[in-house]
Amino acid sequence: MSARPNLIPMDVPWRRETASLGMWIFLATEVMFFGVLFLAYTHARVGDPEGFAAASRLTHEWLGTINTAILLTSSLTMALAVRNGWAGHRTLVIKLLWTTAALGLAFIAVKGIEYALEWRDGLVPGLHFTYAGPHVHAVETFFLLYFLMTGVHAIHLSIGVALVAWLALRDRDPSRPVHRRDTAECFGLYWHFVDCIWVFLYPLIYLVELWR
Amino acid sequence: MNSPPPVRVYIFTWLALMALLAGTFALAHFHLGAANTAVGLAIAAAKAVLVGLFFMHLRRASALVAVFAVATIFWLAILFGLSGTDYATRQVTPAPWSAPEGH
Repeated sequence: MSARPNLIPMDVPWRRETASLGMWIFLATEVMFFGVLFLAYTHARVGDPEGFAAASRLTHEWLGTINTAILLTSSLTMALAVRNGWAGHRTLVIKLLWTTAALGLAFIAVKGIEYALEWRDGLVPGLHFTYAGPHVHAVETFFLLYFLMTGVHAIHLSIGVALVAWLALRDRDPSRPVHRRDTAECFGLYWHFVDCIWVFLYPLIYLVELWR
Repeated sequence: MNSPPPVRVYIFTWLALMALLAGTFALAHFHLGAANTAVGLAIAAAKAVLVGLFFMHLRRASALVAVFAVATIFWLAILFGLSGTDYATRQVTPAPWSAPEGH
């Protein structure tokens, strides 16, 4: 047993709800944080819709679609890890947590491939921007927002991978009960939130006038 | 709230998410005009609702937690609404360093 006393007793019925509520309040601030970037995107796109369509056609929509599928699947394994921790299935929980972390890393790897392709194509504003076609200002603004939003998203996902890996390592200890439901539930809420942000980024980055 | 939801709930949610992803990718290949963006965002919202209800357990959450989740969307609406009224009703005066219109 830990020498540190639990400020909130483990067995009170509202303990888990308090943890979830706190996490939702944190996620609300995160929505505001990403919301400003989505607002900037909206403003810039309304200013030059054709320019944003031209810029979107320079992205790799297949890689973006594969990454969306990877992230949605990682949300499934994360939700199942939380669910099975709830049911007390230790080995299954650990496998599901490692699968979740691996899918998160796979997403980051695909994102890295995309960034490398964009660097090769000279689409990185400020560092290596050689695009000289039509709507050059809108294309530069699009890619500035693209790197900012996907970059901040990737940082969030990396934190999620670290949290999930930590939980998986901690759950190996047979002397402790399988992870406390409140901890796992909070990590799960964070993971799904990061997934939801990507779900909205996906059509705004990759699917603008894809029919062209 | 004491027994976990059945595994099939999670599997069906994931299948629905994959179907929505395939749908949004396929629909984006057709020229629907302004509806392209609307459809893309509507499907994204549908995915977020599925994730929220079944993966984030909002369907089983207490009213208090649900209110905070919905309040999140409410604050976002304020951010977009009030900023939108500003941008929609003000004359834009480009700064000297801004790019000329249409470039």
